[in-house]
Amino acid sequence: MNLDFSQIVPYIPFMLEGIWVTLKFVSVSILVGFILGTLLALCKITKLPFLKGFADAYTSIFRGTPLILQLMIIYFAVPQLTGYDISAFLSAVLAFGLNSAAYVSEIIRAGIMAVDRGQTEAAEALGVPYKDMMMHIILPQAIKNILPALMNEFITLTKESAIVSVIGYLDLMRRAQIVGADIYRNFEPLLFAGLIYWVMVFVLTQIGKVVERRLRYSD
Amino acid sequence: MINVNNLTKKFGKTTVLNNISTSINRGEVVAIIGPSGSGKSTFLRCLNQLEQPSSGEIWINGKEIAQEKNKELIRKNIGMVFQHFHLFPHMTVLKNITYAPQTVKKISESEAKENALELLKKVGLSEKAETFPNRLSGGQKQRVAIARALAMEPEIMLFDEPTSALDPEMVKEVLDVMKDLANTGMTMVIVTHEMGFAREVADRILFLDEGQLMEDEKPDSFFTHPNTERAQAFLEKIL
Ligand SMILES: Nc1ncnc2c1ncn2[C@@H]1O[C@H](COP(=O)(O)OP(=O)(O)O)[C@@H](O)[C@H]1O
Ligand SMILES: [Mg+2]
Repeated sequence: MNLDFSQIVPYIPFMLEGIWVTLKFVSVSILVGFILGTLLALCKITKLPFLKGFADAYTSIFRGTPLILQLMIIYFAVPQLTGYDISAFLSAVLAFGLNSAAYVSEIIRAGIMAVDRGQTEAAEALGVPYKDMMMHIILPQAIKNILPALMNEFITLTKESAIVSVIGYLDLMRRAQIVGADIYRNFEPLLFAGLIYWVMVFVLTQIGKVVERRLRYSD
Repeated sequence: MINVNNLTKKFGKTTVLNNISTSINRGEVVAIIGPSGSGKSTFLRCLNQLEQPSSGEIWINGKEIAQEKNKELIRKNIGMVFQHFHLFPHMTVLKNITYAPQTVKKISESEAKENALELLKKVGLSEKAETFPNRLSGGQKQRVAIARALAMEPEIMLFDEPTSALDPEMVKEVLDVMKDLANTGMTMVIVTHEMGFAREVADRILFLDEGQLMEDEKPDSFFTHPNTERAQAFLEKIL
């Protein structure tokens, strides 16, 4: 056993900064994924074949190909095709946001379908317009039911975020690799990064539990 | 006020309503009775466009409602009460009642609240304003549902078996509220299995069987000497 954590001590601020870098793009990606996923879910439940077809194809493509491939296509192909020099941050947010939207849309679609049909009818019978009905009556109930699944998706996204290191984005993972190369010891920085990921996921899980408890008032 | 001409409704190949014609005057209370599956709910749901008729016309206040693109315009004038209440579980009783007036009629929050509390008093549930629906008994839920529908100040109220999902001891409290409402001159169309109530409160009885309007009679004559054998058989079974 040959472990020496003292060597990574000078690098700790550098690595801790990676938490912020990771959290920044993960939270933006979650937001993008959630909003886009909700819109896609609404497309999936309409009777309009064009919107439905689009949403289904979208989901199929983003779930059917590796995330790392999507990330690299966005990062490398966009400049090649359009000449626009896309930043690592924007590529990451796009790849993770668009990818997460596909999963979130399936979760929300299932959540909407699980809301009692009578809720829609009651709202319709009162003359409530579709948009208000969705925003105030159907989605709040759907999201309450699917909160554990959504939380799961956010946790997965947080962990999978480590693959942005392949496009050189200076997230927590990438920083661990840099430190490892610097001190010729990989195990300690990786272990340290692993601990930080675990803490982030743990906090996220706790937040999820609190939100769930808050929402349970009406059960 | 309501004119139904040759209303037919098919689900796929099955004809659920077969060529129904009737009219309902302002202030009339009409009870619809008939065996289960005879099309009573479907008839009611056609009246507020929850179902689209396959053919025929429904005129309400001089407008053919299928022609009206804006369904909300028709619906906000027609209240509906369901067998299973369908209260919004994530909203308080008060919010259940104020939501539609605020959202659809753009009434101010304070005015909507004031009206809601007034309605809650009428249905005897003033003290439940801040409660969530899951804390209410079935009878209380249904009274809130009636208040919610009334908050839109509709001209017509539709009831689809409002007491069928209730424990027996709660039926009366709901029927009493409906009776009060009938006495205010509200136009009401009520699908019910409460024959005593129908006989006492309704001005007319419509008897549906297999999608056909078999009888359209005053309660006394319907219950004492029904014209059709179907109605006789039905009444024998349930009375
Ligand atoms: N959405 C629907 N799709 C297909 N069949 C339906 C639908 N709604 C009702 N029906 C059928 O129409 C018939 C009448 O139903 P309904 O109006 O609910 O009868 P009632 O209220 O008198 O019991 C039933 O046979 C029912 O199965
Ligand atoms: Mg029915």
